[in-house]
Amino acid sequence: MLEAFLTSTITMATPILLAALGELLVEESGVINIGIEGAMLAGAFVALAIAYFSGSIAMGLAGAIAGGVAINAIFAILVVNLAVNQVVTGTAISILALGLTGVFYRKLFGVTGRAFMVSPIAKIPLGPLARIPLFGPVLFNHNGLVYFTFILVPALWYVIAHTRYGLRLRACGERPEAADALGLGVIAIRWQALIVSGALTGLAGAFLTLAYANTFVENISAGRGFVALSVVIVGRWNSWGLAAASVLFGAAMALQFGLQALGTVVPYQLFLALPYALTLVVLAGFGGQAAAPSALGEPYRRQ
Amino acid sequence: MLSSIAKPFAALALAAALISIVLAALGASPLGVFAALGEGAFGNWYACVDTIVKSTPLVFTGLAVSLAFSGALWNIGADGQLTIGAIAAGAIGPHLANFGHAIAIAIILAAGALGGAVWGGVAGWLRARRDVNEVISTIMLNFVAVQALSWVVHGPLMEPSRAYPTSSPIAPAARLEFYFAPSRINLGMLLAVVLAAACYLLLFNTGAGFELRAMGRNRRAATFFGIRIPALTFWVMALSGALAGLGGAVQVSAISHRLYEKLSPGWGFEAIAVALVARLNPLGIIPAAILFGALDNGSQAMQRTQGISPELVQVIQGLVILIILAFDTPAWSGLREQIFGASHDAAAVPPVAEMPDA
Amino acid sequence: MLRANAITKRFGRTLALDAVDFEALPGEIHALVGENGAGKTTLMNVMAGSLAADRGEAVLDGRPLQAGSPRAALAAGIAAVHQSPMLFERMTWEENLALGGFDTGAGALDLEAVATRARSLAAKLGFEMPPAAATVENRSVAERVRLEVLRALSFDPRVLILDEPTSVLAPSELTAFLDLLRSLRGEGRIVVLITHKLAEAIAVADRITVLRRGRVVARTTPAQTTEEQLAGLMIGEIVPQPAASATPPQSGDPVLQIENLTLDDHTGRRILDRLSFRVAAGEVVGIAGVDGNGQTELVELLAGARHPGSGKITVLDGSSGSAMAVIPQNRDLDGLILDMRLWENLILARPLRERVTSHGWLNTSHAIELCGELIERFRIRAPGPETIAGALSGGNRQRLEVARAIASQPRVIVAHNICRGLDLAATAEVHRTILDFSAGGGAVILISSDLDELLAICGRLLIISRGKIREMNPGERDPQRLGLLMAGARD
Repeated sequence: MLEAFLTSTITMATPILLAALGELLVEESGVINIGIEGAMLAGAFVALAIAYFSGSIAMGLAGAIAGGVAINAIFAILVVNLAVNQVVTGTAISILALGLTGVFYRKLFGVTGRAFMVSPIAKIPLGPLARIPLFGPVLFNHNGLVYFTFILVPALWYVIAHTRYGLRLRACGERPEAADALGLGVIAIRWQALIVSGALTGLAGAFLTLAYANTFVENISAGRGFVALSVVIVGRWNSWGLAAASVLFGAAMALQFGLQALGTVVPYQLFLALPYALTLVVLAGFGGQAAAPSALGEPYRRQ
Repeated sequence: MLSSIAKPFAALALAAALISIVLAALGASPLGVFAALGEGAFGNWYACVDTIVKSTPLVFTGLAVSLAFSGALWNIGADGQLTIGAIAAGAIGPHLANFGHAIAIAIILAAGALGGAVWGGVAGWLRARRDVNEVISTIMLNFVAVQALSWVVHGPLMEPSRAYPTSSPIAPAARLEFYFAPSRINLGMLLAVVLAAACYLLLFNTGAGFELRAMGRNRRAATFFGIRIPALTFWVMALSGALAGLGGAVQVSAISHRLYEKLSPGWGFEAIAVALVARLNPLGIIPAAILFGALDNGSQAMQRTQGISPELVQVIQGLVILIILAFDTPAWSGLREQIFGASHDAAAVPPVAEMPDA
Repeated sequence: MLRANAITKRFGRTLALDAVDFEALPGEIHALVGENGAGKTTLMNVMAGSLAADRGEAVLDGRPLQAGSPRAALAAGIAAVHQSPMLFERMTWEENLALGGFDTGAGALDLEAVATRARSLAAKLGFEMPPAAATVENRSVAERVRLEVLRALSFDPRVLILDEPTSVLAPSELTAFLDLLRSLRGEGRIVVLITHKLAEAIAVADRITVLRRGRVVARTTPAQTTEEQLAGLMIGEIVPQPAASATPPQSGDPVLQIENLTLDDHTGRRILDRLSFRVAAGEVVGIAGVDGNGQTELVELLAGARHPGSGKITVLDGSSGSAMAVIPQNRDLDGLILDMRLWENLILARPLRERVTSHGWLNTSHAIELCGELIERFRIRAPGPETIAGALSGGNRQRLEVARAIASQPRVIVAHNICRGLDLAATAEVHRTILDFSAGGGAVILISSDLDELLAICGRLLIISRGKIREMNPGERDPQRLGLLMAGARD
């Protein structure tokens, strides 16, 4: 019972964390991407469509990356090159992606309502590690994307805090004019962050369709991209904090099913609302922007 | 002034061009689709009425969004605020049978406004006192509102026979269409127009409206000159929520007469496109709402005759917003001046999204 | 040799540089002087690569520089210290310097090595370094200038361009700084010093180039010229007479009383420490201080934008705090809303807004009319009240703010660095306006880091340092001593 809940927590947390880590890179460079929900949705859809028609999960994943990157590229042109309002642009991108995935989904798969399933990504139990009581199956019996996310947390922490590239990245988010005066190339770095983030978010979306639901439904992401934004804030722009926050929200989502299965008298809508309400509560307590990169959200253009 | 109107038209033209590309990719005929949209929206009297019906909620949510955006408060939660307003209206509606018509209407609308105000006010308070980014808080509140609606129609407000997940119908006294039955023309439309005018006057002819706009353009300067930002933030978000909630109440009172799941097909998000096309001007909301209401209405005909699913309308919404934002960027100012003449109005949506600061 | 050939640069409709030729030799300090707006910073930005010229090119040692690329300029050996702060506040000073030239760029990032290299260079220059891993946020202004100079030097540049580096230094720190420039010259580097302070230019430069309105109007040496002559070349006409010299304090009725004003920041650091002073009608009181000693916060408190931890601000007159009009230092950020029209900016001031509002209803035409009157009266060069504030030039924006302050009919005007960024003529005009106001019975608090300005027009002088204020005796006017006190020396 507990094992199922914890495993479910990790499964729920993974796409959120993956997207949040991508967003962390972007925000450290000084950009806030509300379009993250759209990128996730695009990744989810493209992954399923390509995996279904090609029969190859690998191609599906590649498609997810392409989809996420494409969405973020549109965002980047507007926000990085043209310096428009980041918040409204991001919202529009999410709306756009919702519409595009809906339209193309109907066109490709018809309105019959028949579920188009793909077989899930294989799980890779990590040998002896998977046999440790309780933690074994919970942590070490997942598919490759989960392990990838595990590794990404310390990797990103190291890159951002301790490498030259991370220093340049943070400089862009701190004071872009100064970064440009030093020849760091703010526009290029922000583009790079958005491309990498697009890939990661696309993969997060792919997780939803290829590992979790094994199909696509309209708006399958259901706000997970927005939850990822909160995760970055609650995690105080720190990889480990992000991981902790994602686990928290993942647990809230896992709770839905666990408690529904218990058949309690509490309405199931409460559980569906739980992750979002929890996000609000946590933000109310820990949601200050004090730890945010100084130039976050401010459009920047080289004179 | 001319440039203010020319820009949205240019943006819409460009959006149409881009949509055509998408449609071609889907194997549909762009001209066929646009014709179907137009036919569906304005082809005959009933269609026109339906277009106005579908535009009405967009006026309310559009006003809500444009008011908040004018203060650089990014209220993405108009959908949730409308929903909560609808719930309040749907909850109290069935109990208004013994009231006179005017009183019943007043009560049901007040309930809607109050519900929406609370929903918006929560986000406003979180921003004012807890430094929480209102984009995220309003989006989260949207999701919570959806579940709240689901709960009430399956639970406490469910109609007595418990056959369908809807609420009990509201009392006839509380219905807005009373005077024009069986047509769906209703006083809610008039209310929407009146509110648009009121919002315009508020924004441009009152001290409070000036403070709101100042806060939206330059928060630091506003603080410097003694404008109380936290209080203003709260009240603007509450007012914005109230407008959206009112829209929900009008929808329940005039059209649906009861609650059911998925009451809002996304009016709160569509409102963003409406607000931008109107360049955040409350008077411009009316034509902008009619435009998008027409698209919504026409999309059903489009689906029938062209086989394109209605989600295309969301694609249009997203594209329109992006194009308008792109038009306003300082990057093209030279080109813009050549096409539209030297403009004396700043970008409708200021480039800076003021993040809450510590 | 550094050369700029026929550099032309236009911003919108303004011609910032008009076919400017400039040349600087190794082993020389070349001063580039001119008024604010003459084009000095623009020229520097072109040479340092941050800006691409419309026409013309910069050439170093015969090799043309790639336009618009700071990276190329740095690689070629040109480093600049800009006027506006270019440090990353939340990062440590080691990280800031690592983004300069102290980091080898190979292998893993080694902040220890960066710190070591920085310290050794600093020792050679006689600089003190902040404690290890300290962030830049809480460093003093002088430390920041040193860090920026250090970062620029870390690139081991052939050319070092400094833009108004001394404007934020206390007079006592100036000598050390000028000596630093001399030692850099001794190493064979090219030093370009951009300044509007003519005394410094004459003291330290080998050659001087004068810019006026985007053109070179003179090339000379200190031996061949005087401050007066340079000033004349800079503004192109007779130097306006300095405003009326220090008048003895009027003993009018007390108008403003500050008692034990104390303010801490969110980390608990004390910013203002029991400030007390009073101002009487007709007085022009100067508060001298190097930037960053609490002036900005004091101004915010007086504007009512912030509340003190303890202490009182009382306007003695019966009327409320609206009897004070404040002109903030950051014109464009705090004082104006550039996206809004002139009349809208006018009614930002509460007293004016109240004048045109009744029962919450804003009388727009009244406001526009009022604005039109003020535009006339203060000779603001603008098409009309409906003009967007951002379209006005810097000097006219300042005129608008002064107009707004005076039109509010306050008892006290508080002005912070009001003449920063203005040319001599505009400065003289602002000073005249302020003196007229005080002659008419108003009180003025002039907060500034420019001792010359304060000595010229203030009756009483206070010094603010580290959040504490002290009043100077009427006779104490020695700039040396005042400068030391500004820099925080204790008696």
